[in-house]
Amino acid sequence: MLTYIIRRLLLLPIILTSVTILIFAMMSLLTPYERASLYVSDIPKQSGALEGIIEKYGLDDPAPVQYWYWLVGRTDPETGEIKGGVLRGNLGWSKTGKGDVAEVIGRRLPATIELALWAGIPMIAIGVWLGVLSAIHHNRLIDQLLRVFSIVGYSIPVFVFGLLVLLIFYARLDWFPPGRLSDWAAQIVQSNNFTSYTRMYTVDALLNGRLDIFWDAFIHLVLPVITLAYLNWAYLLRVTRSSMLDILRQDYMTTARAKGLIENVVIRRHALPNALIPVVTVGALTLIGLLNGVVITETVFNYPGMGSFLSEAALSLDVVSVLGFTLFASFILVAGNLFVDVLYGAIDPRIRLE
Amino acid sequence: MKVVLKLLKNPTSLIGIVLLLTYVIVAILAPAIAPVPQNSRDPYMIPRDGFKTAPGLPSAKHFLGTTEGQYDIFYGIIWGTRTAFRVGIIVTILTLILGLVIGSLAGFYGHWIDELLMRITEIFLAFPFLLAAITLTSVLQAIYGKISAGPLMILTKLLALITFAQGFDQALNPIQMSILTGMMAIIAFGWMTYARVIRSNILSVKEVEYSLAARMVGANDMRILFRHLMPNAVFPVLVMASMDIGSYVLTFAALSFLGLGAQRGYADWGQMISFARNWIPSLAENWHIVVFPGMAIVLFVLAWNLVGDALRDILDPRMRGRGAGL
Repeated sequence: MLTYIIRRLLLLPIILTSVTILIFAMMSLLTPYERASLYVSDIPKQSGALEGIIEKYGLDDPAPVQYWYWLVGRTDPETGEIKGGVLRGNLGWSKTGKGDVAEVIGRRLPATIELALWAGIPMIAIGVWLGVLSAIHHNRLIDQLLRVFSIVGYSIPVFVFGLLVLLIFYARLDWFPPGRLSDWAAQIVQSNNFTSYTRMYTVDALLNGRLDIFWDAFIHLVLPVITLAYLNWAYLLRVTRSSMLDILRQDYMTTARAKGLIENVVIRRHALPNALIPVVTVGALTLIGLLNGVVITETVFNYPGMGSFLSEAALSLDVVSVLGFTLFASFILVAGNLFVDVLYGAIDPRIRLE
Repeated sequence: MKVVLKLLKNPTSLIGIVLLLTYVIVAILAPAIAPVPQNSRDPYMIPRDGFKTAPGLPSAKHFLGTTEGQYDIFYGIIWGTRTAFRVGIIVTILTLILGLVIGSLAGFYGHWIDELLMRITEIFLAFPFLLAAITLTSVLQAIYGKISAGPLMILTKLLALITFAQGFDQALNPIQMSILTGMMAIIAFGWMTYARVIRSNILSVKEVEYSLAARMVGANDMRILFRHLMPNAVFPVLVMASMDIGSYVLTFAALSFLGLGAQRGYADWGQMISFARNWIPSLAENWHIVVFPGMAIVLFVLAWNLVGDALRDILDPRMRGRGAGL
């Protein structure tokens, strides 16, 4: 197990380096004018200013040289200040977010984490439950119904589903609004009487003892959470179902029944633990996959997280922001995949022994 | 033939096939169902009835109503069928070819070529798919018009040739350009699974007797690869790809929804739905701007998924002989 983890950890820098190379390759397709955002927030409107910046930050150097400076940053010859440098966390200047890309990501991150946390639990719990239900009632009515539910589920685009729930629960019934907070609540949150600990409003509201704000933040979360969860239920249901069906056909299941165990024990003690092995991986991957899901969901619900930032930046072709964000997201994905593999090894003895 | 028969016998896949055929007929008959106005320069641009901002409800003149800016929804849905097929099929085929080439080279030559290509595959897998597609689309759109030559432009022109049957000498207009960039981005980040599967299939058929026999009679590498190995390794991947058409259409629709794929007014379902973003508080009255184009996408993707789902069960040997309901 330990060698397995070490081997994976050794591969990590190679993958991460390659990711940065690919991001940089996309970056270098841009004109020097756009790439200037990596180092400066604004190009003065006077003749020669752009040339000066190109000269100063070597934006016309050979690609490997530029790549190196993109990674470690470049010292300003006059002030001695270090500008840029992805490894230092300087992802450049975001025209959309009016700030450093890293800072904008940091500002938007709590909202997205809050959404993902709220979505994650019902998503995995209900998805797995539906899958088990489907498998133990194999080929009966409930299985067929769930099957239809899952096929229809992954045929509905996130944005169509999101707009439909908005149509029903916001425009028509006015139960759950889009956005993140109502105006009155936003004013309180920004005031001095309210301490922001995590900048996740539901958590902060509880810590501040403001149940009204908690409720307001919560009803804003309901629709995006349903949207994210629904689309993943379809997928988790299928994985759990097929994994459970495989297990139910094993000989040791027959043995368990032959011993005279009641069905409930057979399912819970003998089938479920083994059936859940692939589900753990898929569940963890789905959580990482929320990185994809939040882009559209946040955009539809006008929820100010990382995803809606990406879509704003992409739409205004603010490529430095987009690439900075993608770099961040891919690091999360790589780290998450590593975690999933290790987890998989930890719970599945067959992999551990290899 | 047996597979087709089984597909027709299975009620869910039958629904899928009927739906798909309906879409095919709609796409073919588009000019008859939704006639192109006489002054139109491009049939794919949805005709507008005035320039009023607020969407129009369904009426005698506009069967399914109009979106913001008075684009006719009925026309858009009908001609959007062509866009969906075109984007879905072309993206799938090109992604598949890319995956096949990379995967089969890796599997066939092995050694360092395999090592290199598989590491490259892993790098591409390190990006969340939709994010990567959004990113590459915006990069490509940012540089459009700033570079006129270079390999990238040749690729774009090639894609234009396939997609719009447009010659190399003609300049690309911004509308075409934004569709092409979206497609290129999906292709660039979609091929990895195919490459991996085809590689492992080739590895498993490489050592089979008939491949050695071909080598004995003096066939060269390319002949063995393309005549003997590919046909045996390629079929499962073909099935995989055919099931993915729906998801590529979804991804492209998502790009259009974000404003990155098809441009405003183009007959594309995702683009039509994106208008609804400005009317969320009044969606109760303007339900038609979401429901109709939304239904078009959902049924289209559903049709592919129904067929794909049944196909997978039929072709999966583990499922054989286990009753029809599976």
